[in-house]
Amino acid sequence: MRKLRLIVLLYVLAGAAAYGFASPPKDHATPEDLLTTHNPVGRRGGRLVVSQHAEAKTLNPVLAVDRPSREVLGMLNADLIHINRLTHRTESALAKSWKVSRDGKQYTLQLRRGIRFSDGEPFDSQDVTFSFQVYLDKKSNSSQRDLLMIGGKPIEVAALGPYAVRVTLPQPYAAGDRLFDGIAMLPRHLLEQGYREGKLGQAWPLTATPAQIAGLGPFRLKQYTPGQQIALERNPHYWKADSKGNRLPYLDDLVFLVLPTENAESPRFQAGDTDIISQVGVKLFEDLGKDASQKYRLQDAGPGLEYNFLVFNLNDDVAGRLPAIEREQKWFKDLAFRKAVSQAVDRQGAVNLVYRGRGTALASHVTPGNPAWMDSRLQPRPASPEQARKLLASAGYGWNSEGLLHDRADQMVKFSILVSSNNQQRTVIANLIQQDLTKLGMQVTVVPLEFRSFVQRVLETHNYETAVMGFASGDTDPNGEINFWLSSGFNHFWNLGQKKPATDWEAEIDGLMEKQLTTRDQKARKKLYDRVQQIVAEELPIVVIASPHILVGSKLKLKNFEPAILGPYTLHNVEELFWEE
Amino acid sequence: MAYLVRRLLHTLFLLMGVSMLSFLFLQLAPGDYVSEMLLNPQVSPQTIAAMRTQYGLDRPLPVRYFDWVKAVAHGDLGYSFAYNLPVASLLGARARNTLFLTISAAVLAWLLALPLGVLAAEQRGGWYDWVLGMGTSTLLSTPDLLLPLVLLIFAVRSGRFPVGGMTSLDYSDLSAAGKLHDLVSHAALPVIALALTTLPVLVRHVRASVLDAMATPSLLTARAYGIRKNGILLRHTLRLAANPIITLGGLSIATLLSSSLLVEVIMSWPGLGPMLLEAILGRDFYVVIGAVMFSTVLLTLGNLTADALLYVVDPRTRVRP
Amino acid sequence: MRHIDRQLDAPYLMRHKRTIRWLVGFLLLLHLAALLAGFLAPYSPTAQNREFPYAAPTRIHFVDASGHFHLRPFVYGMEQSSGDRQIYTADSANVHSLRFLVRGEGYSLAGWWKSNLHLFGVDAPGKVFLLGTDAYGRDQFSRLWFGSQISLVTPLVATVISLGMGVTLGAMAGFWGGWVDEVIMRIAELFLAIPWLYLLFAVRAALPLSISPVGAFLLLVTLIGTVGWARPARLIRSVVLTTRQQDFVLSARAAGASSGSILRQHILPQTWGVVVTQAAILIPQYLLAEVTLSFLGIGVPEPTPSWGNMAGSVQQYSILTSYWWMLAPVMVIIPVMYVYDRLAAALHEPVKSSA
Repeated sequence: MRKLRLIVLLYVLAGAAAYGFASPPKDHATPEDLLTTHNPVGRRGGRLVVSQHAEAKTLNPVLAVDRPSREVLGMLNADLIHINRLTHRTESALAKSWKVSRDGKQYTLQLRRGIRFSDGEPFDSQDVTFSFQVYLDKKSNSSQRDLLMIGGKPIEVAALGPYAVRVTLPQPYAAGDRLFDGIAMLPRHLLEQGYREGKLGQAWPLTATPAQIAGLGPFRLKQYTPGQQIALERNPHYWKADSKGNRLPYLDDLVFLVLPTENAESPRFQAGDTDIISQVGVKLFEDLGKDASQKYRLQDAGPGLEYNFLVFNLNDDVAGRLPAIEREQKWFKDLAFRKAVSQAVDRQGAVNLVYRGRGTALASHVTPGNPAWMDSRLQPRPASPEQARKLLASAGYGWNSEGLLHDRADQMVKFSILVSSNNQQRTVIANLIQQDLTKLGMQVTVVPLEFRSFVQRVLETHNYETAVMGFASGDTDPNGEINFWLSSGFNHFWNLGQKKPATDWEAEIDGLMEKQLTTRDQKARKKLYDRVQQIVAEELPIVVIASPHILVGSKLKLKNFEPAILGPYTLHNVEELFWEE
Repeated sequence: MAYLVRRLLHTLFLLMGVSMLSFLFLQLAPGDYVSEMLLNPQVSPQTIAAMRTQYGLDRPLPVRYFDWVKAVAHGDLGYSFAYNLPVASLLGARARNTLFLTISAAVLAWLLALPLGVLAAEQRGGWYDWVLGMGTSTLLSTPDLLLPLVLLIFAVRSGRFPVGGMTSLDYSDLSAAGKLHDLVSHAALPVIALALTTLPVLVRHVRASVLDAMATPSLLTARAYGIRKNGILLRHTLRLAANPIITLGGLSIATLLSSSLLVEVIMSWPGLGPMLLEAILGRDFYVVIGAVMFSTVLLTLGNLTADALLYVVDPRTRVRP
Repeated sequence: MRHIDRQLDAPYLMRHKRTIRWLVGFLLLLHLAALLAGFLAPYSPTAQNREFPYAAPTRIHFVDASGHFHLRPFVYGMEQSSGDRQIYTADSANVHSLRFLVRGEGYSLAGWWKSNLHLFGVDAPGKVFLLGTDAYGRDQFSRLWFGSQISLVTPLVATVISLGMGVTLGAMAGFWGGWVDEVIMRIAELFLAIPWLYLLFAVRAALPLSISPVGAFLLLVTLIGTVGWARPARLIRSVVLTTRQQDFVLSARAAGASSGSILRQHILPQTWGVVVTQAAILIPQYLLAEVTLSFLGIGVPEPTPSWGNMAGSVQQYSILTSYWWMLAPVMVIIPVMYVYDRLAAALHEPVKSSA
């Protein structure tokens, strides 16, 4: 008996030692630090049904990479600091407040006290350090790891007590608070054992039972039906309350329904089976508007962050390896040629045909959906084949008797535009560009390839001439796209794997991007990034074309609903949505 | 017995060949499961390389194939990259839904095809035969895509049928009778769409088989003696025609399985179809292989069952070489 | 006994022969028209009218707004209505006469004979879209004619390949039997069971970009044709198997004829019926294969028209329900398929009844 007591004592001591300080009192007396929201007060109850094009693949936040899984996980989990999808500013979430050190390298976060995971277990700083340990562990193979690496070094997270953590960045990083958005805090009490045994990859598959899973999000798992739906229920321990002190969320249930095609999605919304429809094709959106017995509202939230562009293959590694493409790079590397192409492209025509007017022609890669960062001095110019021809003629290009374009060395200008066949709108854009360039006497063909074949060519083998692609950052801040603009970045599509900047203007962009990274003054950063936009618009490594609008439909009785131009477009404030009587 | 052994050997050879070629083709198709992440601005090439190693995508194909064969021998079909789940458990849940759809469609198609085909053969050259011929030709000429789409539009416009899916959201709260009604009303349109795709072929084969049977000497004699349109004649004809019809029966399940893909995707039926399509585009290697093997096994099983049935029905086949 | 059957069916068979003649005649005419696509179509298949996407078929009038009858038909000019983007109103003040045999955009017939004469057209700046326009404002009627060139020829090519291989391999298997038969038939089984889709993906992606889009597609068709030999081979084999045992073959062999000459002179002619019937079955199958390939994004690429990639847009529920004229390619495919199918049935019938 005594021996047993001793063992228990040792066990407790060891536990406390592992903690590094005395355990927080885990009784119900600790008052909950609830976050109070300010939207109109709603009414409890009801079920919300939304559709997804594909089934979520996993409920494991460490491994999930596909969009449907991320959407569902966003409902089940919460982050420390959150980016408000409407204001685009950071706001308090699980961290009640935070302070940044003078050098911009240290963030001290005060956590909400007394809040609980969806299974009723308390949340404290140990869960935070555990979560970052998991994400940063190489063996976890988490896609979040690279996000938490700054300048090639991981961030460091240490507990300063049960309700405070200090995050140390290896180097100053502007807008470092935005890093925390979307990093789900994991329950140590459920996952630590699996993690120690190296079995985290097997944790929380779709077939997991609700009792095995817990999170800090507004909802928790209720039931999964293979191939059909994932049903979630209200998390009774959620840490937000409305201005009258009612605990959120208002909704009792949330169902994600799998509808593989747009063909199935819109009729079911129209029939009232689903309550919200988003990222719907423009044509369907317009057809929904023609329904006379409308029980829903349709909203055009304006341009999102997506920009579609034509990229020229300027990769240096094709030299000697792909002689045909190397020969064509003579034109692509010629600024006059790129300018002529940009001048010939009918951006407004693309907006009218591809997006039926529900899109915006672009002059820079920052869309009007991001007014805080867009350089509004740049304006899209109307297409002018005549000016494009003049540009070509003055750069030494000529036309043969059939009106076909050739370069100074009498080589006919003939190339292809690669496009992913999985994206219909981009395929149409490619065809429009093809037609526009044909007017200049260029012989252009469009080659649609299945998505993965496309990615392999553009990003791995570099065996393409030009390509139409689209890009949408998950954040309005330019740091989200830093790997796109740095000449050494792994998303620097037009010329990948540069050891040092290939051109002067790329070197200038590198300098500007690195400078804004450590600048803490917002106005100064904006100035630096404006210059990046100007360089891109002048040097045209990518010819930016247009941005589609975010189109959303929702039932009239659903209140507090407000679409955002940042993903998730519709469910970002799911805890505040409620059904009007 | 020797025949049975030979058949089994054939089947084994077929399964080996199909699996090897599937591995090869899937490998030839450019890109792999992780290549999508190359576009993600937040994932570095190093992480992608690490993922490739973790999923074993960097190992040579023959090694992966033999590992897979070894695993299959132990009843393990491999892991899905995307779901982090064993392929067998993924396929199982969806195969049930697909089989429910295809078997219902097969039963419906045969129930319609037998009387239609026999009648057409009986009245060969008559107006009924002619109308049926026109009908089957038109159905055969319609692109596969159009039929489920038209039925979908019908469902939306009429409002009588649920628009896609297999069950209502409240399915689990329904009574047993309610569940049955819910399932049947959801299944009605997909089953009809699927049955209509095989119906014309079945009708034609039934008609042709019955015609052939009627041309055999015994029945010709009977007809020459003026025995017509009575039960005995029909029964004899049908017995003679049974042989080719049964053979076709085995095949029809397999063809239904492949044409169910389109119907499932368009009518959002939670079967193998949508998952397979996604797995192909997403290069979820072992899911694709598993689904292909599943349909091959079903095809051979169909043929074997048909042969076994023939053995029972038609004594002549028992003395096969 | 057989005598009775023949007598019973003599008029029936006669009618069949007439049907076959009609059907073949129709197909020949269609192929000839496809050759003349440039002449029959008023516009180039790739010319975009960006101000008129999804325009409904142009109405042809004989009576004008003031009630006067015109002998020469005419069309009204179109203008975009301000409310809905894709609804166009006829402008009755803007009359353009329809004329036959007009000069227009240049084209070449069968690749060598250049011309700019079109069967019909309207006075500039009017436009006549007999079957409306597509998403790019291209004339569907013109695209259908140009599309028929690819859509009608590729199935023929693939069928010739399939049948060539099927007859060779099937005859070998049936004639020699033994291990040759065993090997060929096992491979045939394998070919019938394999999911070929991945191979198509793989080949399409591996092709060099410099190859023309149509060239790439032809290559795919060749591949489809190569893959499709198994079913005809099985049928040919069974015909050869039964023929091999018949008296005239046995006597030729007894007379010392070589295997080759027996195959050529006695056995292969017997397979003719099967070959023709199979052709009538395979051609429409391959015609539909092009539609499926376009659905998967590996068919004929834009802007080159084909019935397959034109029919592809109908997959979208909203297009199907709003713009009925987008169904035009499907409405063309169905009758052509129908004719082939009736032909196959008609060819099949006499073979069946006289067997």
